[in-house]
Amino acid sequence: MPATVSRIRPRTRRIAVAAIPFLLLAACSSGGSKVGSGTTSPGGATSPTTATASLAGQCPNGAVAQSSQQPIQITLWHSMTQANLKTLVTLTDQFNASHPDIHVNLVNQTSYIDTLTKYKATLGGGARPDLVQIQDVDQQLMIDTKSVLPVQACFEAKHLDTSDFVPRAISYYTVRGVDYSIPFAMSNPVLYYNKAAFQKAGLDPNKPPKTLDELRQDAQQIVSSGADKYGIALKNDPWHLEEWSAMAGALYANNGNGRDKRATAVEFGGATGQQIYSWISGMARDKLAESTTSNGFDNLFAVANKVAAMTIDTSAALGTIFDVLGSGQYKDIQLGVAPLPGPVAGGPTIQAGSSLFVISGTSPAREEAAFTFAEWLSEGPQQAVWSAGTGYVPVRTSATTQPVLQQAWTARPQLRIAYDQILSGANTQAAQGPVIGDMEGVRTAVENAETSLFQGADPTSTMQKLVSSANSVISDYESRVS
Amino acid sequence: MPARKRRATAVRAVHYGVLVLLAAVVLFPIYITVVNSLLTPEAIGHRPPSLFPTHPHGSGYVSAFRSGHLAIYLRNSILVAVAITVGQLVTSVLAGYAFALLRFPFRNALFVVFLATLMVPYEATIITNTHTVTNFGWINKYPALIVPFLATGLGTFLLRQAFLGVPRELHDAARLDGYGHWRFLTRVAVPLARPAVAALAVFSFLGAWNQYLWPLLVTNTDRVRTVQIGLRQLEGTSIQQINVTFAGTVIAAFPIFLLLVLFQKQLVRGLTAGAVKG
Repeated sequence: MPATVSRIRPRTRRIAVAAIPFLLLAACSSGGSKVGSGTTSPGGATSPTTATASLAGQCPNGAVAQSSQQPIQITLWHSMTQANLKTLVTLTDQFNASHPDIHVNLVNQTSYIDTLTKYKATLGGGARPDLVQIQDVDQQLMIDTKSVLPVQACFEAKHLDTSDFVPRAISYYTVRGVDYSIPFAMSNPVLYYNKAAFQKAGLDPNKPPKTLDELRQDAQQIVSSGADKYGIALKNDPWHLEEWSAMAGALYANNGNGRDKRATAVEFGGATGQQIYSWISGMARDKLAESTTSNGFDNLFAVANKVAAMTIDTSAALGTIFDVLGSGQYKDIQLGVAPLPGPVAGGPTIQAGSSLFVISGTSPAREEAAFTFAEWLSEGPQQAVWSAGTGYVPVRTSATTQPVLQQAWTARPQLRIAYDQILSGANTQAAQGPVIGDMEGVRTAVENAETSLFQGADPTSTMQKLVSSANSVISDYESRVS
Repeated sequence: MPARKRRATAVRAVHYGVLVLLAAVVLFPIYITVVNSLLTPEAIGHRPPSLFPTHPHGSGYVSAFRSGHLAIYLRNSILVAVAITVGQLVTSVLAGYAFALLRFPFRNALFVVFLATLMVPYEATIITNTHTVTNFGWINKYPALIVPFLATGLGTFLLRQAFLGVPRELHDAARLDGYGHWRFLTRVAVPLARPAVAALAVFSFLGAWNQYLWPLLVTNTDRVRTVQIGLRQLEGTSIQQINVTFAGTVIAAFPIFLLLVLFQKQLVRGLTAGAVKG
């Protein structure tokens, strides 16, 4: 299996969010006439919609068949490199061969962040793609550009069944009742641990911690027994607060995590958030956790080099980890993979990854072709190939019945863990995850807060400061788009 | 006096000590990049990290060229950077000369307009520029990468200052010898302003070489993409590729390094060229 750490969630450098309002204006003014052709996103930026009315009318159903020029050429802007790209190319070739009326061109825009920057620049009047792969947390931003065709319109118009989608996947991309994009490359955070270190510390290597309390106890034993220097290597990661809030059933943002109405403030400052921050701060203070950079693989190397016994990272890192371990360099590491421990055991986690947005205002045929390709990529057989080739979690349940994925999972049962995790627990608004316009900005604030926790800051006041800076990030953005 | 001399030596030793220390701080990232480019990926992740390439390994460089297609990116970067540099030199020399030595209506006002372009941040114009270039149909074409950068307010300013330093007497003498503007420019003014011209050349090349966002915005195919985009594609995708990223960085930095070594003298002189004149 060509395995690569997919840049599921590349670090969120603060992009020029300040430019957004201008871009939005530009999109409205210059693209207005085009977008007006029945493809504007419903609800728009300000009015909350609960999508009772059918959206089917917005889907240019049958436009490809009616088009005189065939094949319809469409372009997908993606951010996949290396092994992921190879699998994507294979699938795309297969699609092009089996769909003579459509031809898909792939363009690599190198990273999620650059893809988004480039996409925003085209809103002023550049050459737009037909499909864009966008990082999960940027979905509200994409909706706010008013340049996307909500895929739900075509699901309805074509009477396609969406019940095969992993519920947590499709509901993440369903904002205020409308599904805007198609889940594509999904992952989930899991716990990686060194069974050998557990053994050395007198812990049962087959009983990884299920809760944060257990994790702390295990870490304590690992450190005091001298098995490893640290119990866990923690990336400086906004994931901690997001996932652990969800697992405890706490909302991250108000208005139902931004899913009933637009989020106007964060909610993570409550008891759960306090508890999470006290935990991190305690782990740091008692030298049970090592903080590693948010970028790169330092946390994984900490486990490999027996500096720390555990770490938390994306499930998509598994393939790479297997390959590195297989190189024979780290003979005395026995890798264990377990569901993410949380404030409560087995709480539901938020999906992570990216989805495909269909761009509106190109031409009806191109819109429909783009939808067709994106939907095809999300279907079971393709997701099985995609998942087996990349390590991503399939977004469709039927993918798991495909031999290619079953074989991959039999060979490496650890690959299954993230999938089982994303299926478990109730699919509440907390578990669906927050929808915030300037989520990148909020994440930057969270990262800064976590840095100060490791520098010894008081968790209560750190959380207070974080809440106020996150809220000002949100209100800044909201005042610009409304 | 020996005592005084000894003290001077001691002071100098301290100076050099501090300078060596600072140089080490500045050079370390470059050094470690080169070291890492020669290590295996596993060795890069090792703790404590290796500070010397004990078993140098060239595979990173090979992969950077093979799977990273760096050759195409390098070719594009060289083409674009050279074109931009030549273009900026020509326009800046001509404009600088005009502002320094010609008399024409609204000269000062025009010069202020030139300077004003320095005050407009790049980010503010990028969207309109993308729009313009798209309308010209230049997406995925070299002109999109080159034309927007053919003139520079900074270069014009730099060379105007340099040309102002050309003694008036030389100008008069040349006029008596029958030199027109063109001959005076090419035979007298430019040779005299060589440090400034060389500095501008290096800066232009450096700026063009390091561009990232603009080339990304106006290209969608590897055929015309430049080396910084190529590097980005090498970056951070896999632990197994981490030495390739370092190797790619070294390769991409090499032309710049070469340029700095060759033009160091002019560069330093150029930095101060306009400082005390004009």
